Amino acid sequence: MTAVDVRDLRKTFRRFRRREGLGGALKDLVHRRSETIEAVNGITFSIEPGERVGYIGPNGAGKSTSVKMLTGILTPTSGRMQVLGMEPFRDRREYVQHIGVVFGQRTQLWWDLAVIESFRLLGKMYRLEPGRLDERLGELREILELDEFLHTPVRKLSLGQRMRADLAASLLHRPRLLFLDEPTIGLDLMAKDAIRSFLKQVNERFGTTILLTTHDLRDIEALTERVLVIDHGQLLFDGALDLLRGQADQESVAVLDFLEPPEPEALRGVGDWVRWTRLSSTRFEARFSKSDRSLARFLGKVVADFAVADVSLPEPSIEEVIRKIYQERRPEREVMA
Amino acid sequence: MGDDAVSSPLDSPSRPFVGPLGTRLRATVEVYGALFVQMLKVRLAYKADFFADLAATALGGLASLLFVFLLFLRAPELAGWSRDEILLIYGMSMISYGLFGCISWNLYEFGDRYIIQGQFDRVMLRPVGTYAQVLFDSFRIPALSECLIGAGVVAFAMQRLELVISGTDLFFAAVAVTSGFVIFTAVFSILASLSFHFEDRIGVSPPVFNMISFGRYPQTIFPSALRFVLRWVIPFGFVAFYPATGLLGRTPYRGLAVLSPLVAVAFCVLAYGFWRWGVRRYESTGF
Repeated sequence: MTAVDVRDLRKTFRRFRRREGLGGALKDLVHRRSETIEAVNGITFSIEPGERVGYIGPNGAGKSTSVKMLTGILTPTSGRMQVLGMEPFRDRREYVQHIGVVFGQRTQLWWDLAVIESFRLLGKMYRLEPGRLDERLGELREILELDEFLHTPVRKLSLGQRMRADLAASLLHRPRLLFLDEPTIGLDLMAKDAIRSFLKQVNERFGTTILLTTHDLRDIEALTERVLVIDHGQLLFDGALDLLRGQADQESVAVLDFLEPPEPEALRGVGDWVRWTRLSSTRFEARFSKSDRSLARFLGKVVADFAVADVSLPEPSIEEVIRKIYQERRPEREVMA
Repeated sequence: MGDDAVSSPLDSPSRPFVGPLGTRLRATVEVYGALFVQMLKVRLAYKADFFADLAATALGGLASLLFVFLLFLRAPELAGWSRDEILLIYGMSMISYGLFGCISWNLYEFGDRYIIQGQFDRVMLRPVGTYAQVLFDSFRIPALSECLIGAGVVAFAMQRLELVISGTDLFFAAVAVTSGFVIFTAVFSILASLSFHFEDRIGVSPPVFNMISFGRYPQTIFPSALRFVLRWVIPFGFVAFYPATGLLGRTPYRGLAVLSPLVAVAFCVLAYGFWRWGVRRYESTGF
C-alpha cells in the first residue's frame, strides 16, 4: 500500500485586504475587499512506505499549506488525498494516531512539566499501556541521550535537548509516517548531525516513512533520497537528489588562487565564454557552460597563461540547483530561497 | 519491525481515542486528571513562588471585598439589600470565579495563544477532542484561593443573616456555584470561538470579563436593559444573584433562582455549537 497518495491537490484561500489608515479601516467596515490565493495549485505525488522524502521550496511556496493538509489540520479545496489509507481531515482522530509531527520552531510538550511527565501524558493520550511506554522510551533514551534531561522542565532545556525531547515525543506511539518541519533549525552542527543520524536510524529500524521540510539543504543531502520541489503551489521537481543535482551540472565552476593579482584584461583574454567573479585580490571564480568548453581545456589555458597557486572545483550546492530550476521556469520572478 | 510497521492502517498498537462517548469521557478525565496533579506538583515544588502567587491572588480578592465593606460604612443598605445579603451573593460568585480562573482561564487567552501564536495546529494533531485540550491545557492553581475566600465569605454572611441552612439548601448552593462556573466557561468559550473567524485580536473578551462584577450585586440596582442582558445574553446574573435570592427567600425571584442549571446547560449547548463552527472554519481557512 502506498503511504501517501496525493492527486491534483488544491487549496484556495480568500484573504481580506486591509486598506491603510483610519479612512481605510472605515471603508473596510463597509466593504471588505478580498483576494483569492491559490496556495496549493494542483499537486500530484505519491510516497511509498519507508521512503525518506525532502520537501523544499521558498517561503510562501505552498509547502506548509500542503503539509497542513497532509496532517489533517486543513481540509483541501479539491483533489484526492489518501494517507495511510485514510483521509487525514475526515478521519482526523484515528489518523493522527498513526503519524508523528515535529515542528522545529514549536514544542508540543508542556512547558512547565518535566520531560518524562510530558511523555507520560502523551502516553495516556495515545492510550499506550504504561509498560509499552517504558519499552518505547527504553529504545529512544539511549540514541537520543534523554537521560541527562528526563527530569528537567521543558522550559529549562537547551534548544538541542528540546528538539531531542520533541522527537522522542513524536515517536512514542510509533507512527508509521513522520512529518518534520525544520527539525534542525537553530541547532549547532553537532546537534544537527545527531538529529540527522537519529532520523535515519528510525527510518531504517522501524520502516518509518519520513517527509521532511527544511531550508537547510544539508538536511536534504544527509537524509533524503528523493526531493519534491514546490513553488507557487506547483510541483517543479520530483525525483532523486542526484538527478536534481544533475540538472545544474550544465555549468562548470572553478575557483582559482593566483600567485599575484591578475590583470582584468588578461582574464578577459582567456575567452568571452568565461564569466569571472572576483572573490579577493588573488582569488577568482570562473563559470562557463559545459557546452562551450571542457573544464580541462579551460584549466590548460589558464595554467599556461597565469601563475596559479591552487584550483578548486566546488560541487554545485543544492541551493544553487534549486535557484536554477526557479530561474528556468520563472525567469520573471525574484528568487527568495 | 520493518514491514510490520507499514501494514494495514488499523492494527496500530495504540488503541484509538475513538468509540462510545463514555469511553472517551473517561479517557479525557484520565489524561487531564493526571495533568492537574502534575501542575499541582510543579507549583508545590517551588513553595515560595506558590505562596507568593497564592497571596497575590488572595489579596486581589480581598481588595474587592473591602470595597463592599467600605460601601456599607456609609449606607446601611443598597436598594433594599443589606450588606450581608450582598456578601452572600459576592461570596458565591467568588467561588464560581475561582473555579473558572483555575480550570478555564485558557479560554480567555485563546485567541492570542492558540490562533495568533498558532498553537491550535498542535491541538489538531492529537487524538483527543479539541475543546477538552484547550479547556484543560493549563491549570492556574493559585486561583483556587479565590474559592476559599468565597467560601469563607458565604459562611460569614450565612451566619450573620442567621439563615437556617438545610441539607437541601447546601445541595442547592453547590449546584448554583457549579452552574456559575459553567456559565462563565460557556460564555468565554463562545468568545474564544469567535477567534476562529477573525484574524485580529478582537477586544470583546475584556469588557465581558469586566461584566463579571455586575453579577456580584443585586440586579435590581441596574437599569432594566442591563438587567435583561445579564439575564439572557451574558447571563452573569444567574451566577450568584438569582440563586442567592432563593437561599435568602426573597420571593420575587424564586422562579429565576432555580433556573441557573438550565441556563448553564443551554449556554453549554450554544458554546459547543460555536466551537464546532469555529473548528470547521479553522480547518478550511488556515492561518
